[in-house]
Amino acid sequence: MDLPPLSRRRFLIGGLTATALTTTLPGAWSIGAAERAQQDRVLVVVQLTGGNDGLNMVVPYRQDAYFRMRPSLSLAPSGLHKLNDSTALHPSMAGLSELFGQGQLAVVEGVGYPEPDRSHFRSMQVWHTADPETSYGASSERPESGWLGRLATQIAAQQSGGSMPALHLGTGDLPLSLKTQFGFTPTVRDARGFRLLEPMTGFAAARARVLAATEAHAGRDAAVLHAAAKSTYDAAVRMESLARAEGPSRYPAHPLAERLALSARLIAGGFGTRVFGLELNGFDTHARQSVSHATLLAELSESLSAFQKDLAAKGIADRVVTLVFSEFGRRVEENASKGTDHGAAGPVLVVGKGVRGGLLGSAPDLGALDSGDVPYSVDFRSVYAALERDWLGLRTGTAAQPLADLLG
Amino acid sequence: MSANDLSPWQPRAGEWNVATATHLLERGGFGPRPGQAEALLELDLATAIDTLMRPGGHDPVYLRGVEILLGAGELEPVAAWWMGLIVGDGDPLGERLTVMWHDHFATSNDKVLDPRLMHGQNQIFRELGRGDFRVLCHAVAKDPCMLKWLDGDLNRAGAPNENFAREVMELFVLGIGHYTEKDIREAARAFSGWGTDGRAFRYRERYHDAGDKTVLGRTAAFSPEEVLDWILAQPAAAWHIARKLLAEFITTEPSNALVECTATRLVELDWHIGALTQELLASKAFFAPEARRARIAGPVEWIARAVRRLGFNVPPRDLARQAAEMSQSLLRPPSVKGWDGGEVWINAGTWTARHNAALEGLARHSDAALQSALGKPTSKAHAADLALDGLLPGLDQASDLRQALAAEAETCATDADALRLATALVLVSPAAQRI
Repeated sequence: MDLPPLSRRRFLIGGLTATALTTTLPGAWSIGAAERAQQDRVLVVVQLTGGNDGLNMVVPYRQDAYFRMRPSLSLAPSGLHKLNDSTALHPSMAGLSELFGQGQLAVVEGVGYPEPDRSHFRSMQVWHTADPETSYGASSERPESGWLGRLATQIAAQQSGGSMPALHLGTGDLPLSLKTQFGFTPTVRDARGFRLLEPMTGFAAARARVLAATEAHAGRDAAVLHAAAKSTYDAAVRMESLARAEGPSRYPAHPLAERLALSARLIAGGFGTRVFGLELNGFDTHARQSVSHATLLAELSESLSAFQKDLAAKGIADRVVTLVFSEFGRRVEENASKGTDHGAAGPVLVVGKGVRGGLLGSAPDLGALDSGDVPYSVDFRSVYAALERDWLGLRTGTAAQPLADLLG
Repeated sequence: MSANDLSPWQPRAGEWNVATATHLLERGGFGPRPGQAEALLELDLATAIDTLMRPGGHDPVYLRGVEILLGAGELEPVAAWWMGLIVGDGDPLGERLTVMWHDHFATSNDKVLDPRLMHGQNQIFRELGRGDFRVLCHAVAKDPCMLKWLDGDLNRAGAPNENFAREVMELFVLGIGHYTEKDIREAARAFSGWGTDGRAFRYRERYHDAGDKTVLGRTAAFSPEEVLDWILAQPAAAWHIARKLLAEFITTEPSNALVECTATRLVELDWHIGALTQELLASKAFFAPEARRARIAGPVEWIARAVRRLGFNVPPRDLARQAAEMSQSLLRPPSVKGWDGGEVWINAGTWTARHNAALEGLARHSDAALQSALGKPTSKAHAADLALDGLLPGLDQASDLRQALAAEAETCATDADALRLATALVLVSPAAQRI
């Protein structure tokens, strides 16, 4: 049986299910099944905008230097959620700690890139493009696509016309990561983003009939305009029925939680969207950060915890993995305003049933800093590569080796 | 081969009609008001185009009113103010050119962070946009808005910043393939010395690199003005601007023959954009069937056309918001390349936005207002025809859309309801997304 190398590899990482299938079914079918299963997989990316203080999220609570360099900001070991005998999560992260216990949270420490840039704009651009080498000067010479946008282009090629391979859920501008060279990633603020005004009785049925009646002779309009109209109206209808079917919300009242809830609804509803981009803003904590940082981490932890429970209840937990990243970590030493300034490497979280839980990378050694910052031990592109190749089954946009042991 | 022919169109009997007049008003402005296409038919084609070229002009009180808005320092009111000019009757063709130049010299407030500077640049497009392109290009280049946007104010002898030099060659004047990286570096040296005091242009002699530079095959101690003139003198420049005008008025995929012909006329007309526009609007290529409803309407032109034709009473602020929801935020283009346009305008998110904008406009419209825009229906089938022929004149009498609309109209209780339903159905039809 001749298979392209990629399919063979994909098939191998398809895991037990696919292996079991080969013993009972013709090979070609089982490959199809494995690929189909992979083509159902979804990546949710939560961006912590502003530079998350990784050291107070994933705390090296056994290192004296942590307490010495952060006299007012260091967290007392008693309140922390211990992950092992040297590393713990922030006190407000009970939900994620529970997921760690269930083997559904991978904490990758020391993630960054060579010659870190401390500009929000530039460092975010590096993470968004997965390209630390090319320096784009002004916002006016932006790169043409981001790493998630490039995935969207690959996904679109696998799906039928008019699909929505990637979605940005948020109120801000489209992040560069989701920018595509071919096509456009829609931004949806909330569930109302798909809600169509239909003020006239029977309008929805009427426009559906008119669209159907004009399809046969649509000519040049068929490929784009009819396809877009159809997929939008289909999406709206499914959204509407999903909204009605939805019971009382199991999510806390956080904006991030609402967007994760919408993602879960869209995934379960079969929208075909496989990449979701979300943001949690406010991590640029230069002053009096204790309360604000704790509040943000609580929103992150409670929202992701509710999301995982919802995915499990919907029976789709094994199809969804969530990546949490920030453009940089912060200085080890606290500043004079009881805050922290821009730093370098930081932890990345990867959540989901498909994740092999645990601690990856190497814990920061606060006795071996690089000009006051945590140096990187894991290239962020290796995390991307694992998610692109091994999780989504797509071509990876970087030359980095996929991070081992991240996925189950 | 009329699609390639720039010679004046000589309509045969019946060809100069509501459909062709509407095409002229939609591409040579933002579409007709009720009755405007019919009124144009009273004139011969050349005179009709002349009226587009010589508009009544904007209300000076409205133009000055922007000063109050600028005082607040917010961008949204300025975008809304511009939207008001776009849907207005002061100078539709002029505003179309203003939007075109905003896309060509795409500058965003996201980096400039100064609505006053954004408005200053907008005013340059408005005042110089149909004159000599070279004069426009110099004015835009030296304007503080551009100097800030492309870091010209940071470009100094010994520490060159290539941002502006690169875009002048790649996007504004020549196009990719007509220069080298070395040309960019050398031109950047020549542009050094241009700067701002935050508000206005300042030439700072001490920052200018006075040495010899070799740009596009010529070595000289170029001043900033001289190097821009030299770039504008390249043969590729006329081709680049010809393509821009053809994409706006005739086709985004012109043959080489059509570009060459247009570029030649541009030079013969001494780079006069208005004169060339007038010739394009009068040409066989402009009225060729291939050119009509050939491209996907951008958000601003799509909104403006509906608002003008139906007389929607939606505040400009909401119109600017609707355009942003359709992914065209005025004064905030996505990059220096401007909006990509074409099929990129259409996706699930923007389709939702188009649908909702159409229904929002109709919901605020009374039956009387709708009937005064489209006519009073005498039957339900007549209501369907009024909506279709009002919004998309010239469509085949036996088209699928016409039949489907007639069937839907019959389900309505009254003729007025039928007109409202048919209008909504036309606005959200695929055919109505083209211009």
